[in-house]
Amino acid sequence: MTGDRLLCALLSTFLVTACAAFATRWLGAWTRRAILAIHLVGSTLALLLALCVVGWVLRGQSVFALGNWLFVDALGAIFVGLVALVGFLTGAYSIGYLRNDLARGDITVKSLSTYYGFFHLFLLTMTLAVTSNNLVMMWVGIEATTLSSVFLVGFYGRKTSLEAAWKYVVICTVGVAFGLYGTVLVFSNANAVLANAQTAMLWTEVVQHSMALDPATISIAFVFVLIGFGTKAGLFPMHAWLPDAHSEAPSPVSALLSGVLTNCALLVIIRYAVIASKAVGPHFPQTLFLVIGTLSIGVAALFIIVQRDVKRLLAYSSVENMGLIVLGLGLGGPLGVGAALLHTINHALAKTLMFCGSGDITMKYNTRDLGLVKGMLRVAPVSGFILIVGALALGGMPPLNVFISEFLTITAGVKAGYGWLMAICTLFLTIVLGAFVRMIGGSLLGPAPEGMPKGDVGVLTLTPLCLTLALMLLMGVHVPTPVARLIAEASETILGIPAPPPVMDAQAHARVTKGAPACVPDRLKETTCPKST
Amino acid sequence: MNGANIVNSLAALLIVTSVLVIDAKRPSRAALLYGLQSLVLVSVFAALAFFTGASQLYLWALTAFATKVILVPAILYRTLRKFDQAPPLPSPMRPAASIGLAALALIVSAVVVLQIELPGAAAFKPALMVSLAHFFLGLACIITQRNILKQIFGYCLMENGSHLTLALLAYQAPELVEIGVATDAIFAVIVMAVIATRIQKTVHSLDSHDLMTLKG
Repeated sequence: MTGDRLLCALLSTFLVTACAAFATRWLGAWTRRAILAIHLVGSTLALLLALCVVGWVLRGQSVFALGNWLFVDALGAIFVGLVALVGFLTGAYSIGYLRNDLARGDITVKSLSTYYGFFHLFLLTMTLAVTSNNLVMMWVGIEATTLSSVFLVGFYGRKTSLEAAWKYVVICTVGVAFGLYGTVLVFSNANAVLANAQTAMLWTEVVQHSMALDPATISIAFVFVLIGFGTKAGLFPMHAWLPDAHSEAPSPVSALLSGVLTNCALLVIIRYAVIASKAVGPHFPQTLFLVIGTLSIGVAALFIIVQRDVKRLLAYSSVENMGLIVLGLGLGGPLGVGAALLHTINHALAKTLMFCGSGDITMKYNTRDLGLVKGMLRVAPVSGFILIVGALALGGMPPLNVFISEFLTITAGVKAGYGWLMAICTLFLTIVLGAFVRMIGGSLLGPAPEGMPKGDVGVLTLTPLCLTLALMLLMGVHVPTPVARLIAEASETILGIPAPPPVMDAQAHARVTKGAPACVPDRLKETTCPKST
Repeated sequence: MNGANIVNSLAALLIVTSVLVIDAKRPSRAALLYGLQSLVLVSVFAALAFFTGASQLYLWALTAFATKVILVPAILYRTLRKFDQAPPLPSPMRPAASIGLAALALIVSAVVVLQIELPGAAAFKPALMVSLAHFFLGLACIITQRNILKQIFGYCLMENGSHLTLALLAYQAPELVEIGVATDAIFAVIVMAVIATRIQKTVHSLDSHDLMTLKG
C-alpha cells in the first residue's frame, strides 16, 4: 500500500471506529462486548497504520494525499506516531479504568459508547491537524480537537467537570479564533505572491516562497498564531483552561490532552515559525519563543510546588514542559531544536505514564488529594513503583528519558550564549524536582493508611503502564535509530540546514553542523508538493 | 456612493448590531438579533461579490444565509428560550459602555490593520478594521459578561468578525475551506449551548461566578 493510501486508511480507521462506537449504544445487552471489540481492533489497526506511515517517511519520502491537502514529512511523522502510540496506550488503559468506574456506578454502559466514540473522534481530529498541509484545514483540525474532546472533559457530568468543560471550550475556541486571523493573513499574503489560491493554501508551497512574503504582515500573523495555537498548547499566559481540564477529565483523557493535544498545537506553531523565520528572520520567532518558554517554565514551577491535587500538579507540569519545548525552539540551532523535538516525545510518554498512574491512585484511594494519599508503594506496589519512576522522570532525574532532553536543552542554551537564562531555568527545574520528590516522600512512600485494602488495581491497567515505562527507559538509555533519524530530519525542516540526531556524540555533532550550507538541502527539496492530477 | 463605500458602510452596521446583541436582555431576543446581524453579514458578502466580481462570494453568502441567518439562530432560539425567565444577572456594562468598548475595539483594529499590506483589498481596509473590531468586541463580551449564554453570543460575534475577514482576504480559497470553517463554528455553538444547558441542570445557575470552584 502506498503512503497516501496508508494515511487515508489511518484517518478512515479512526472515523469508522468512532462511528461504530457511537452506534453500539443501541445494541442493548451486547453494547459492552461490542464496544470493547471495536475499540481494541480500531486502536490496534490505527497504531499499525500510523507506524507504516512513519516507516514510509523514514524511507525518505514525504507522504502527500487528497490533492496535497494532507502531508506527512519527518516533522509530521513524529506527531502522527505520537498520536497513535499514546492513543493506543491510553486506549488500552481506558478499558480497566472505565471498568472500575462502571463497577462503582459512576458511569453507565451507554456512557462507554459516548466515551469511546469521542475518544476515537478526538484521535481523528488530532491526526487531521498534524497531517494537514492546507493552512485553513490545519486550523479547522485544531478547532475540531476542542469540539471532539470537550465532552470527554465533562464526561462525569459533575459540577467541577462541567465547569472545566465550559472553561475549556470557551477559552480554546476563543484562543484558536486568533489563530484563524494569523492563518488568513498568511494566506492572503501568500496568495498575492503566488497568484494562485490553490497553492497559497498549502504550507509546503508557502514555505518555499516565504522569503517573498511581507515581513510586517507575517510578523503580525505569527503573533496571532502564537496566541491562538499557544492557547491550545497550554503556554503561559494562555494556559488558564489546562489545569482544570486536565484534572477533571478521566485520567486516560488527561494523558491524551497533556501528552498529545498540546503537541499537536505546538506542531502548527512550529510550521508557522518556519514561515516566519524565512520571511522575517529567525530572530523574531526565536525571541518570542524564549520569552514565552521561560515564563511558562517559571510560572508553572511556582504553581507546581503548591499543588495538593495530583492531577493539577501534573497539569502544571505540562505547562512547564511545553515551556521547555518552546525554549528549545527559541534557542534554535540543531541542538536546541533537536532537544525540543526529543522532549515532545519524552514528555508525551512521561505524561501518559503519570496521568494513567494518577488514575490508579484515584481507583485505590478515591481521591486526588496528595494530603490524603499515603503509602501507595505499600498499598499497590507495582503502581507505586511505576509512579515513583514516573515522578523522578518528570523531575528530570537520570537515566530517565526526560533528563536527556532537558539536559540537551540546557546545553543548547549555554552553547548559544544564554548561560544566565539557563541558570534561571535550572533553578525553576529544581523547584519542579522538589515538588515531585515531596510527592514521592509524602504520598508514594511511607506507611499505608489503616484499613486500606492492599493489592494492585489489575493487569488491564498495569500492562499499558509497564509498556510506557519500558519505552521511557528505552528513550532514556538509547534513543532508537529511527526516532533519532526522524528528529534529525525534522530539525532540518525547521532550520533549513542539515542537523545531526540530538543524541549524537559531540564530535559527530560538530562534524555535521560545521559548514552547514544556508541553502535548502536536497532532502528538504523532496517535500515540494507533487503536481496535483 | 461607490462599491467600496457600500461594503464598508454595511460592515460598519455589524458593529451596531453587535451592541444590540450584547445589550439584549433575553437569550431568545439575542438569538434573533444575532440572526439579524448575520443577515447584514450576508449582505456584505453579496455586495463584495457584486462590486469585485468575485462570484464565489455569492456561494459564501448563500452558505452563510442557510447556516447563520437560519440554522444557528434557530438552534440558539430553541435551546435558550427556556432560560428567558431566568432572573437577569447584573451586567457589568451599561449600553453606553458597550458603545465605548466598540469604539476602543475599532481604534485597536485600525492600528493593527494600517500596518498590513493588503494587495487587492486596500479599498476595503475600513471593512477589515470593522471585522477585527467585531472580533475584539465579541472577545470583550465573553470576558465581561457574567451570564454564560451571553458568552456564547460573544463567541458568535467573534466568529462573524473572523468570517468577514476570511471573505475580505481569502475569498479565493477553495469552497471546501469555507465549509470547514463554517461547520466548525456551527458545531462550536451547538456544543456550547449543550454544555450551558447541562450546567443549568446541574449547577442551577447560568452565572459564570458560580463556576469558580476550580482554582489554583
